[in-house]
Amino acid sequence: MIERTPYLNILTHTVLIGLLIFSIFPIIIVFIASTHDLPTVSRVPMTLWPGNNLIENYSHVWNKSGFGPKMLNSLIVASLVTAGKIMISAITAFSVVYFNYRLRFFCFWLIFITLMLPLEVRIVPTYAVAADVLEPFRTILGWGGIVLKIPELNILNSYSGLVFPLVATATGTFLYRQFFLTIPDELTEAAKMDGAGALRFFWDVLLPLSRTNMAALSTIMFVYAWNQYLWPLLITTDPAYATATMQLQKIVPGPAFGQPPVWNEAMAATLMVMVPPLIVVILMQGAFVRGLIATEK
Amino acid sequence: MSHRTYFSNNKLAALLIAPQLLLIFVFFYWPASQAIYWAFTTQPPFGGGNEWVGLQNFKELFNDKVYWSSVFISIKFGFYSTSLSMILSFIMALCVDRQLSGYRLYRFAFFLPYAIAAPAVGLAFRFIFAPDAGFVSAINQYFPGLWNPAMNGSDALVLIVIANSWKMAAYNFIFMLAALQSIPRSVIEAAAMDGASFLRRSWDIQLPFLTPTFFFLLVINITESFVDSFGIVDITTGGGPARATDLMVYKIYTDGFKGLDYSMAAAQSILLMIVVISLTFVQFRFVERRVHYR
Amino acid sequence: MTRLGLVLGLAGSLLLSVSAQAQQRVKFEYWHGLTAQLGEVMEAHCKRFNEAQTKFEAVCIGQGGYDKAEQNTIAAYRSKQNPTLVQIYDAGTVNFMLSGAIYPANQLVKDFNLKIDWADYFPGIANYYATSKGEMWSFPYNSSTALMYWNKDAWAKIGKSKAPETIEEWMSDLRKMKAAGVDCGFAFDYDTWMPMEQFSAIHNQPIATKNNGYDGLDAEVVFNKTLFVKYMQDWKKALDEGVARVQTAQSGKTKNQAFADGSCASMLSSVADHGVMTSTAVAGMNWGVAVLPVYEGTKRQNSLVGGASLWVMQGKSKEEYEGAAAYLQFLAQPSEAQWFSTVTGYIPVTNSGFKFMNENKFYEDKKYAGRELAIASLTATPPSPLSRGIRLGNFTQIRAEVRAELEAAFTGKKDMQTALNDAADRSNQILRRFEQTFKGKQLP
Repeated sequence: MIERTPYLNILTHTVLIGLLIFSIFPIIIVFIASTHDLPTVSRVPMTLWPGNNLIENYSHVWNKSGFGPKMLNSLIVASLVTAGKIMISAITAFSVVYFNYRLRFFCFWLIFITLMLPLEVRIVPTYAVAADVLEPFRTILGWGGIVLKIPELNILNSYSGLVFPLVATATGTFLYRQFFLTIPDELTEAAKMDGAGALRFFWDVLLPLSRTNMAALSTIMFVYAWNQYLWPLLITTDPAYATATMQLQKIVPGPAFGQPPVWNEAMAATLMVMVPPLIVVILMQGAFVRGLIATEK
Repeated sequence: MSHRTYFSNNKLAALLIAPQLLLIFVFFYWPASQAIYWAFTTQPPFGGGNEWVGLQNFKELFNDKVYWSSVFISIKFGFYSTSLSMILSFIMALCVDRQLSGYRLYRFAFFLPYAIAAPAVGLAFRFIFAPDAGFVSAINQYFPGLWNPAMNGSDALVLIVIANSWKMAAYNFIFMLAALQSIPRSVIEAAAMDGASFLRRSWDIQLPFLTPTFFFLLVINITESFVDSFGIVDITTGGGPARATDLMVYKIYTDGFKGLDYSMAAAQSILLMIVVISLTFVQFRFVERRVHYR
Repeated sequence: MTRLGLVLGLAGSLLLSVSAQAQQRVKFEYWHGLTAQLGEVMEAHCKRFNEAQTKFEAVCIGQGGYDKAEQNTIAAYRSKQNPTLVQIYDAGTVNFMLSGAIYPANQLVKDFNLKIDWADYFPGIANYYATSKGEMWSFPYNSSTALMYWNKDAWAKIGKSKAPETIEEWMSDLRKMKAAGVDCGFAFDYDTWMPMEQFSAIHNQPIATKNNGYDGLDAEVVFNKTLFVKYMQDWKKALDEGVARVQTAQSGKTKNQAFADGSCASMLSSVADHGVMTSTAVAGMNWGVAVLPVYEGTKRQNSLVGGASLWVMQGKSKEEYEGAAAYLQFLAQPSEAQWFSTVTGYIPVTNSGFKFMNENKFYEDKKYAGRELAIASLTATPPSPLSRGIRLGNFTQIRAEVRAELEAAFTGKKDMQTALNDAADRSNQILRRFEQTFKGKQLP
């Protein structure tokens, strides 16, 4: 640290430990529950000591639910969503911030509003679109009196169906917009004076500067895409495309209809499903390094 | 905004923004417009028989005491949850940014809550906070009846605020830390050499750097508390007791998704969107002024 | 750059579509709504079918919940992607009957020459899923009814070895047990199935006019004017006196858990929970099930069926219907009924199934003893117009409204009559909306 501040350090440590307990206590509960057998877990309140059934529970759940291929599907979907999101949001924000055209605020709000309608409300019509992606165009052309034989494009039960609707939201664009607005004008002017075009500026200057933002966004998007279950449950009926969190939802049902989950197995499944995103998080941590940014006034 | 340098190739700009616009047209606006249209009709779940009823659905909502109560609860929830998660995450980020020993562990741990899937979050929170079962129930042995989210509406609201803040603090933490870590070290060192203490540096130097991120998180948190919070409610309190935690978005879910009343859910969604858009607009108008973009 | 690679990968995945699979068997899709252990049973049952023959293959896919099963079927149907067979819970019956999207069960049986004897189904069950003309439109599958679970050890403390048969007796037993040291005599939650729906059926009380909605979409709820109010007031009294407790998932311990760990001496629940109770009850606890108590002097009427039934959807190919028909025929076999009732707490839905199980001394096994009371409860009398079922639109929402008002009453915010009056008002609004949505349509 920069100077010696022993009291502040102690305070910081205390606060950190307090927040640490706050953050991971629920997860510890999940872990402990996953190491017991069913009667012990059903006892209320549950004991805080780990039990002996760890390996038994985890292997049982893994085999029973076929988590292997499902994890792979989740991995593919989450990676595609993350990659897609990063790229598309970057170029969109670039367009909105670095060009001056009349519709840009309108476009930004158009994109931004997509955050405000919950998926549950539009899930039925979105499904209809996924079943026939080109239908909007066919209908619009139909209004104009043009009847083209546009084929049906069905993306149910496919990676496209799982990925595209999730990529179509606004968080990334908003984040990049915020970041791009902080880039000093001098950099842009310098690039223009050097004869660099917009794309060159984007690729060579903006993107490297966005490293930490991209790391943060990737982490969040990966986890977000990994944890989706409502949409995948709807459009995936072929078990070959089932995702890990979908499976988790079937093991850990909600409190309605009084069906109790098999608690210890449900907790074990929860932790297993959490592991891959955590690995991604750990890998991403390497990008959170202070001081690599060359932008200094 | 102050003077900005722009690139002049507007055709390129259109090309750059086209993919996202296309995506949201197909996967958001097209389906959403149908959902919105339903707000003005009575829509049977299986389709086939839409009757235009104009503003009837909205009139029913405006006259519904229960609906207004859920609007009020949602606002309270949004306010408390956002405040709590922003404050917690700011403290987390500041502390971790100091890079004291073990900071990598904290950095990892503070993000964990966001990584855990929604179905499991509720389970864990029930274990801890339930009045009969949870560890917090120990309080009830000393002060009987003090904590009971199953019977007491305010306790239930506290429970979902804590659960939501727990998750969102992790989310906010990541972005705040990223922002803090991108502040050039030289600036901070210069200030330190000028004699500024840690607290002074936080307030005068780090905070302004953080304002763009703060603004981003503020908007996202408030939006999320209105639009994405149904999962937390569904698993912990189920909207109760006696509708005390019946958030607007939860009502939309129960009416539309479970109750299959698409037209009422659509009408409520429009109102929800209006509320969120207004709040966002207010933030952009009045709060963004204070943001230091440089 | 890897980013470029990822972008190309994204573009490439656009072309990814359905994987080709060599088809030897005729496949049909069956969506079920159960999860956890019961979900696994659904899948096991499909496997049994697939292994018992080689012509068809049932592709069984869990939807993660009854509400999601209903919602997903509707979304799929609108895009013509629906499955052939779907499991829909009791509250979804009205929506499906009015949908125009289904292939009525009796029609399927005729068209595919299935050997299904409609008269073999227990009348209480058949009537729930039948039209006003008595034609069954769906196949009952996992059926249950409500029973009282009672802790024999607790009752032994007041010298009784038989479960209370009347509500008055039950309530007084609770108070006697409290004096004898049983802290909590009765655990309940706000689920309306037991106290409102089952109670009204066995007391032959209406929940709504027009014979609980069977006779028309213009029914109005009347539960705030029946014995149901008194029943709830009795529960409130018990709660206030400390002899009963509210146990919900939100409070941390459900009523089933409270019964299983011995802390509460009685509770009302579905017979389907019998199996789970056997495996989670505290070792050595003596407990049993009994039929629901009635008010003194009431002539007990049959109780209602709960659970779900199987619906066949329109728009599929003839081969898929043949597959579904074969599966339904398979499920109707008495041996399958026995297997199903062994691995779950559900009861057989046909007389012949029940007879078969009795011949195999199923109910004499300690593990299953007591479940036959569910059948006794369901068949106590032939169904009357008020006890054959509930045909109210948007019933899920009505249940939610009654729940919320019961919560308000039990937490002391309103008195019971006001709460139920408010629930009735709001329920009627819901019914009028439903009627308007289906204007001009008749209940079959």
